[in-house]
Amino acid sequence: MLLFAELIATGALAAALLLIGTIMAVRALRRWRHARLRRVEEQWRGALQQAAEDPHAARLEPIVALDLPYFLALWNHSQEVQSGEGVNRLGTFLGLHGLDARALHLMGRRSARLRIIGINAAGHLREASAWARLEKISQQRDPVTSFAAALALIRIDSRRALDLLAASIPERADWPLARLASLFESLGPAVVTAPIVAMLLRRPRPGLDRVGKLARFGYRERIATIVLGWLGSSTDPEVITVALDYVDHRSDLPWAHGAAGHAEWRVRLAAARALGRVGGREELARLLELLRDPVWWVRYHSAQALTRLEGLEPFELENLRENARDAFAADMLGQALAERRWT
Amino acid sequence: MSTAAHAIAWLFLGFLAATHLIQLAVHFAALRPLKRKVTLRALQDLPPAYKGFELPVSLVVPALDQEATIVDTVRALLQLDYPEFEIVVINDGSTDGTLAALQDTFDLEPFPEVYWRRLATRQVRAIYRSRMHPRVRVIDKDNGGRGDALNAGINASRYPLFCAVDAQALLHRDSLRRAAEPFVEDPFTLASGAAIRLANGCSIADNRVVGVELPRGMLGLLQVSEYLRTYPFARLGWAEMRGALVMSGAMAIFRKDAVVEAGGFKLETLGAATELMMRLHRLLSGRGEHYTVHFVPDAVSWSIAPETFAALQRQHIRRHWGLAASLHANSQLLGSRGAAGMIAYAHLAVFECYGPLVEIAGYAFVLAMYGFGLVSGGFLAAYLAASFALGFMVSASALLLEEYSFRLYPRADQLARLILGAVVENLGYRQLVAFWRCVGLARWIQSRIAASPEQLRGIPGSDRPRL
Repeated sequence: MLLFAELIATGALAAALLLIGTIMAVRALRRWRHARLRRVEEQWRGALQQAAEDPHAARLEPIVALDLPYFLALWNHSQEVQSGEGVNRLGTFLGLHGLDARALHLMGRRSARLRIIGINAAGHLREASAWARLEKISQQRDPVTSFAAALALIRIDSRRALDLLAASIPERADWPLARLASLFESLGPAVVTAPIVAMLLRRPRPGLDRVGKLARFGYRERIATIVLGWLGSSTDPEVITVALDYVDHRSDLPWAHGAAGHAEWRVRLAAARALGRVGGREELARLLELLRDPVWWVRYHSAQALTRLEGLEPFELENLRENARDAFAADMLGQALAERRWT
Repeated sequence: MSTAAHAIAWLFLGFLAATHLIQLAVHFAALRPLKRKVTLRALQDLPPAYKGFELPVSLVVPALDQEATIVDTVRALLQLDYPEFEIVVINDGSTDGTLAALQDTFDLEPFPEVYWRRLATRQVRAIYRSRMHPRVRVIDKDNGGRGDALNAGINASRYPLFCAVDAQALLHRDSLRRAAEPFVEDPFTLASGAAIRLANGCSIADNRVVGVELPRGMLGLLQVSEYLRTYPFARLGWAEMRGALVMSGAMAIFRKDAVVEAGGFKLETLGAATELMMRLHRLLSGRGEHYTVHFVPDAVSWSIAPETFAALQRQHIRRHWGLAASLHANSQLLGSRGAAGMIAYAHLAVFECYGPLVEIAGYAFVLAMYGFGLVSGGFLAAYLAASFALGFMVSASALLLEEYSFRLYPRADQLARLILGAVVENLGYRQLVAFWRCVGLARWIQSRIAASPEQLRGIPGSDRPRL
């Protein structure tokens, strides 16, 4: 028994000391590496700055394998801040020093960090020969490397890449929507509308809500022609909710009228918003009905829609509030009017 | 007789070893998400996140008698780096000038807002809106305790996510953005918790930590060591194993619809967020719904740790009382589907809730046996050495994870002090905390015995509601 207790104490103490030793070793290694990198980084920065103007004039000392990821990370960063010819010159610079092939080689490394640096470099180099490999990586399960590969493909050939990725984007819930949205916004509606339309036409389930959010970066009228068509053919609440966001003309209001009585409250809410967006005072009765909805959000958006109705004066809304027999409706209208006064 | 004593001591030591080895395993589980975080730093040259897609968040800040600090707290929250958020301060029946301070500083005026009573709360007296900052609203209500105040804040909140914020928490400008990130990246996110770090010794300006430093005194240093050992990496490890049951009330973001459906906050003491988390697990896993709970170790909420033994004792007792009450109220979670019910609940009950009792009983038993001459001095020394070494090992693993990931304390003298803290913490402090936790457990059991059958049907509250 004594031996057992001693064994536990000795083993745990040895493990603790090993861990402390590891911390110190990691610190020392990091300090050494930082000091070393500080020395060469200045030289790299100068070379990259010069290469953006004239890749043939820029000088670069040979880069050892240990330093390559750091140099390429800096090169990737320089690419991000460059535009126009500078991007191509930096690519030429990499090729002149034989680093392009070494960068692409990183894509096959085990370390995710190195793989990502290689993938990013391939994208910045617009390296068409890496297409098949990047396509394969973009289909892998790991969300970080697959998404980085998707971005690299888009950098190489945005239209071809989006055609390819249109199948994956709705299904890949692990790809950050925020970054996708940022990318779609930067590419512009001329590039993204066609793939968005392709995705919408497939009505992916699940994933329609993701596509619906990305759809705002396409040409609105083009998207509207697709999604408004769903209103007559689908009974799926999610589909109808996405479509009602594109009701922009009075001629489409009958769809909102029909949706105002839908059993699903999100559809009623979308209908109230559509009525407020394009409706006139003839929608008053319908919105007053929605103002008595059992769901708070529907009442809230109906009250907001009432304050936006074309041709309805604030004093008329005040009268409606004072004469409302439903206390919930009156309170909500009072709040919407107060909020209107504030903004 | 001596053999029986040794056998019992062996059981105590085995339990102690199991407790620490599990903690080590949980730290090991945290390695994967930490590695992912470190790897993601290589993605810095990707396009920045599109701000418009971050879900709007209602910051719900309960305040009771915080006249001196509430204005600075709200000012600091207003400077958070996040595209869309509102601040809902709940004045929970303060008897000092909390409301007046808010009124004077933020130019509040009564607003005819429809108070949506989704969760039952004490009477709301008035709702105010700031003329200076439209995103600030104040709910003035009768005193009902922290949980009641949070529920009133949820009722008044506009956005689909709400963030419970301690009025004394010091947040980084990017804390909210980081804590809310899982909701953008993972559509199944139910809740996301921030890491608690201790601000004692740090430089603070405008209610914000501007320079990270270790506490000067030993008591503060011991608490930093304790937090590192038990908080950020352990929480991350459990979240990775889909068993995140413990949630800090200092800063946590929840999906509002789920919380409303679960009935809101119920516990009126420390641990209300943990109790809610357990109830949410029960509700959603019972329905077979897919959901995830995230812990974001780089979303930091800084807290001032108690600076006296008496305050520290009170904190530990109350916290453990809350843990026991949460576990008891959610006993149906045990054995339910998923890691939360199968593993995390059992671990929390056996090792966290009743573990301190076993640990203290172990020391008492071995000391008594030594007193009776049934075990040798060598054995007593080996037992105490094993207890120290096991704790030191877990503390060291936390330090290594800190070194690998965040490196908040980069200087050599800071590392030396952290190692000193890890050593001293296990030479009496950890045992003292275990004792206080036993007291918390005993007080909870006592309150159960004293409670009426009506009170037993619900979750017991403390005598006087406190925030």
